[in-house]
Amino acid sequence: MGNNRFYTPDGFTDTVPGICAFKKQSEAKLRRLFELNGYNEIETTGIEYCDIYTSTSFVSEESLYKMQDSKGRLLCARYDGTVPAARFAATIMREEKTPIRLCYIENMYRYSQIGGGKQSEFTQAGVELLGETGSNSDAEVIALAIRSALELGVKDLQVSVGQVELFNGIVRQFNMEESIVQDLKDAIAAKDSVSIDRVAGKLGLSKDEHQTLSLLSESTGTYEVVDLFENRVTDEGASKALKNLREILNILDDYGFLKYVNIDLGLFGSVDYYTGMIFKGFTYEVGFPIISGGRYDKVVNVFGRDLEAVGFSLGLSLAITALMRQGKKCITGVADAIVGYDNKVEGARSAAIALAEKLRASGSIVILDTAEMNESQLDEYADSRRIGASFYINESNADMGGNN
Amino acid sequence: MLTIALSKGRLAEQTIELLEKAGYDCTAAKEKSRKLILEDTKAGLRFIMAKPADVPTYVEYGAADIGVVGKDTLLEEGKQLYEVVDLGFGKCRMCVCGRTELKGNLDAIPNKRVGTKYPNITRKYFEDVKKESVEIIKLNGSVELSPLIGLSEVIVDIVESGRTLKENGLDVLETIADISARVVVNRVSMKMKANEIKPMIESLRTQADLINKKV
Repeated sequence: MGNNRFYTPDGFTDTVPGICAFKKQSEAKLRRLFELNGYNEIETTGIEYCDIYTSTSFVSEESLYKMQDSKGRLLCARYDGTVPAARFAATIMREEKTPIRLCYIENMYRYSQIGGGKQSEFTQAGVELLGETGSNSDAEVIALAIRSALELGVKDLQVSVGQVELFNGIVRQFNMEESIVQDLKDAIAAKDSVSIDRVAGKLGLSKDEHQTLSLLSESTGTYEVVDLFENRVTDEGASKALKNLREILNILDDYGFLKYVNIDLGLFGSVDYYTGMIFKGFTYEVGFPIISGGRYDKVVNVFGRDLEAVGFSLGLSLAITALMRQGKKCITGVADAIVGYDNKVEGARSAAIALAEKLRASGSIVILDTAEMNESQLDEYADSRRIGASFYINESNADMGGNN
Repeated sequence: MLTIALSKGRLAEQTIELLEKAGYDCTAAKEKSRKLILEDTKAGLRFIMAKPADVPTYVEYGAADIGVVGKDTLLEEGKQLYEVVDLGFGKCRMCVCGRTELKGNLDAIPNKRVGTKYPNITRKYFEDVKKESVEIIKLNGSVELSPLIGLSEVIVDIVESGRTLKENGLDVLETIADISARVVVNRVSMKMKANEIKPMIESLRTQADLINKKV
């Protein structure tokens, strides 16, 4: 017992001063952005009953951090932002008129899952737009996700948008058996042309139908992808899905965001969770998407209220890692300046206080020395802690009121 | 610059050969040395020589954009990757093997002990396909030893010619999957470096098709 006291648990890391400050500023920017767009922030409980995740098939049980309450009921640490927000909207806000806009910035806990660069604890910022279907709400959420990344300084951004109903429609159109659908879905998601060919062969599809499946995994672009599939689908649901994608592109164009967007029809998500549009956001230097979102119309229903929902979450820890690796953000020093003074000189302290306050008022981070360092000690300290400037008040400048 | 993770050994040599046929300058990768990172700035390629089992990890995290690795490793590691080309070489099968007399009687043994280098593939096969619980014994090499010495009843391993099995009185009992070398791509790189990656995938696919048709 006690030998682990020096370490943090697997998957958990402390956040060091320079990065922590940057992270908190980033959170503040996103909080303000969400607020300006009419999304109300909520805090859900850090610990939930396991049932909110396990009574649905959305989350694999192994990835939950579990514990018990005093009555032996199974609890878990917050795994994501969406399911608690769905519970919240269906229960606490059950009488509220829709649409409801909610947002959160919270830490999530997952056993060795992709998300925070394999961290078990990571911060996500996200929004949920509840009680509305249709392309307007889909596009609003994608636009807000793009705006969020830009706000953080992620300029090299690519957002892939898919539509799970297109695939489902094609499954109906081609009369595929249930047993083969999952294999095909996995193959398309993995862009595994060998397996797609094998499944197509097994189903005895025509050359043209086979090509439709291949195009699902290969097509990239914007409007041209929608055009391409319009000639290929006859199923009503699939046509609706294409119409939805076209409208989303139109709206994102109005935002001026089309340059960040491409269509990827092989996006399905890891679980049968999404019911329409789905999207992921990528940038350089991290191997995982920093943004993940889509429409999940059946999630809130689990909690007893029939509410459609669309939302996204942005992996803040991951985005910050990306920015640092891209050289767009470095760990800064602890302060911009330090002010010291010679205690033996009359008026030096009040001059030092006045100078520090003046600098702070102009937005600089200023430390007032409390350790009674002399001038050379002060310089040395500033140097070693990467403090931009040091000011020392002595008999020569005490009467200048700190105008150093 | 594209970073390519190769599986050290024969697979790496075959991959480099194929890349050269596809028109990529791989002089850097052919350098005879113990260096683990071989970079050619002019060709815009950087090769890393990794242990096969680590290739999916390098690619999943995006430390490498592309990797070439056996399907056996992909099945065992279960990473989230794009699996874009079947290169057609490194062909073999993942099999359940045991003493020849077990052929056709495998289901008769209750609570089997299975020796293997591939515990995840083994668990998935016995649980999902055969619907039974087995005791898995993780080994690191010469897996054929284990049924001979009584450590396990059967093994799960890759079988190429089957000669080692035969010489030790063992035989293939069931086939789990066909194995060959695959090209895998990181999910982010595929989007962010599409201009470099997509042409490479296309030309590798063309080369692989040429070879496979010859066979």
